[in-house]
Amino acid sequence: MFEKILIANRGEIVVRIIATCREMGIKTVAVYSEADKAALHVLEADQAVCLGPSAPAESYLNMDKIMAAAKQTGAQAIHPGYGFLAENPLFAERCQEEGVVFIGPSAQAIRDLGDKTVARRTMINSGVPVIPGMMQAEADPDVLMKEAELIGYPVLIKAAAGGGGKGMRIVYSAGDLREATESASREAKSAFGNGAIYLEKYLHQPRHVEFQVLADTYGNVIHLLERECSIQRRHQKIIEETPSTALTPKLRKEMGKAAVAAAKASGYVNAGTVEFLVDHDSKFYFLEVNTRLQVEHPITEMITGIDLVRQQIEIAAGNPLKFSQADIVGRGHAIECRIYAEDPLSAFLPSSGKIAFVREPRGPGIRNDSGVYSGYTVPMEYDPILSKLITHAESRKECIDRMSRALKDYVVLGVLTPIPFLMDILSSEAFIKGETYTNFIDTHFADWRPAMKGVDLACIAYIVDNMANHRTKSNFTPTNGETYSPWQTLGNFRP
Amino acid sequence: MNYNLKIGGQTLPVEADLKDDGTLLAKIGEKSFATRYQIISENQIHMEVEGIGRNIYLADNGDGKLININGTTYLVQDADTLARNGTRKRSSKELPQEITPPMPSVVERIMVAEGDLVEKGQSVMVVSAMKMEATLQAPFKGKVLKINVAEGDKVMPGQILADIEREEEGESKPQEEITREKEKI
Repeated sequence: MFEKILIANRGEIVVRIIATCREMGIKTVAVYSEADKAALHVLEADQAVCLGPSAPAESYLNMDKIMAAAKQTGAQAIHPGYGFLAENPLFAERCQEEGVVFIGPSAQAIRDLGDKTVARRTMINSGVPVIPGMMQAEADPDVLMKEAELIGYPVLIKAAAGGGGKGMRIVYSAGDLREATESASREAKSAFGNGAIYLEKYLHQPRHVEFQVLADTYGNVIHLLERECSIQRRHQKIIEETPSTALTPKLRKEMGKAAVAAAKASGYVNAGTVEFLVDHDSKFYFLEVNTRLQVEHPITEMITGIDLVRQQIEIAAGNPLKFSQADIVGRGHAIECRIYAEDPLSAFLPSSGKIAFVREPRGPGIRNDSGVYSGYTVPMEYDPILSKLITHAESRKECIDRMSRALKDYVVLGVLTPIPFLMDILSSEAFIKGETYTNFIDTHFADWRPAMKGVDLACIAYIVDNMANHRTKSNFTPTNGETYSPWQTLGNFRP
Repeated sequence: MNYNLKIGGQTLPVEADLKDDGTLLAKIGEKSFATRYQIISENQIHMEVEGIGRNIYLADNGDGKLININGTTYLVQDADTLARNGTRKRSSKELPQEITPPMPSVVERIMVAEGDLVEKGQSVMVVSAMKMEATLQAPFKGKVLKINVAEGDKVMPGQILADIEREEEGESKPQEEITREKEKI
């Protein structure tokens, strides 16, 4: 087993990986940019190496600097987390060349699956159903225009190197195509360093259901059930749950089989996720394989009791899986809510700044994967995810109740978060009924406003706090034997 | 003591009276609340309002307090103090007719040059933060007098990125529109 692992990422995912490494007796190295000097992942790791300026290209995406950090600290393996270099085949290759183990699939598998068009061909060849669309990326707007006509509007523009909704656009008519492709390509280039895009048919009201797979170096491939990730804003998931309300045992079995087939077809090793869209007729289509640990992996861990990061490390160290498909049982229900620093009232615009105070919910069946603390400043340079709140309970109903309670108890002051928005989704009839489609938010919550039920209490609290501050300031008189000290007379002075 | 508290876009008159037994009587509009409280820390108050106990978490925020009630955070400000200090921020409806970013961001692209004539709604600049792009559009028809930033500059809300001389009077307001919003239609 490795003695030391470098984690080439930032924020909550690094903190989460460090936790497993500690349990396994593995030392950890964090890397960071100048904007992240006081980030939680830097504070938590055994060692931390500064990579350089805040721009990702000069820090978290800079392979030379990350490699140098691994060499300098003697790390034997690198965990890439999600995003940044996690799905970059050049980085996996570079690790191999330099004799550092990349905790993830082979460069070839990342390359084949990362290029969504190659992945589509692989899946078609192995009999996995796919969505109608282009077989390769295209830059020429005239060709794209023709392809769009062939597929039929509405079409979805996707980044060939993409993921996470970056570089994605829905286009309803030919008149908007050119501008949308340019803008999508630009966004893809800045997010992934590759502006290649392609088109596919846009499905109306599908569900997004993905399967977690694990594959070791001995050819054993199993799946760890599904995650339903249909609740999205800006094509980014914000609520995930497992099991999916849309899957019957029969459909689950079929999709699981397809997921395993997809992993096998691409020669996949380590943890990966096979994403599908499921339409109204319970037909499923291969979407893509995410060749990394997913943001929403904790809900799978909750219902299966399997630590996915531990499995990733064991597999990378060359150990065989200790369980087979028959051993995988999902118990109860799990939900994850992503807590971003963003304003749900203005198009989910990022809200950077200092977190004056944070208090995380506690209790049975509650997990919080967090990368922040009171006094932490959320930088504007990176994805604004603060934490992921996960609940686990016996049934879906109890899990929703538990999540609603946990959200209510989650206090983040100083930056805006979607917590009130999430609470309202969790208590909405459509969500409770399990009617979760990818257009859920646009359908049910497009004009959402907070209920403002706490106005009276907030006013009372304001006055209580005001009076308390005034009293401690004005009422201080030294009693017998005491002398004035600035520490006492300053009262509630805060610099 | 009387307060005028600004919260969630409204200003509420509140009468507060601290009794000798430590009970705070607060009258908000027509409603009265008897409150007993304990200050637990700089960020926590335990309040018993009309007999129901609860923990309230709060933090100072420059010219107000951020107060969390059941998962929702409210910004509460003393309207009288705000008026005295003259720090009252313009509400979004009174936004200046200026090219300014909606969030702290980086200038990605500048689509106009000094001296250009722009139409109302024409894209002037693209800024980005946290990998998201926002397009800033001309609030009215006019002439670009000066570009105050360069591509790659870090900019803050309120900072004027370009000066545009208005050509005609109109009702228009500056629009910042998130490019992703468009596809939502």
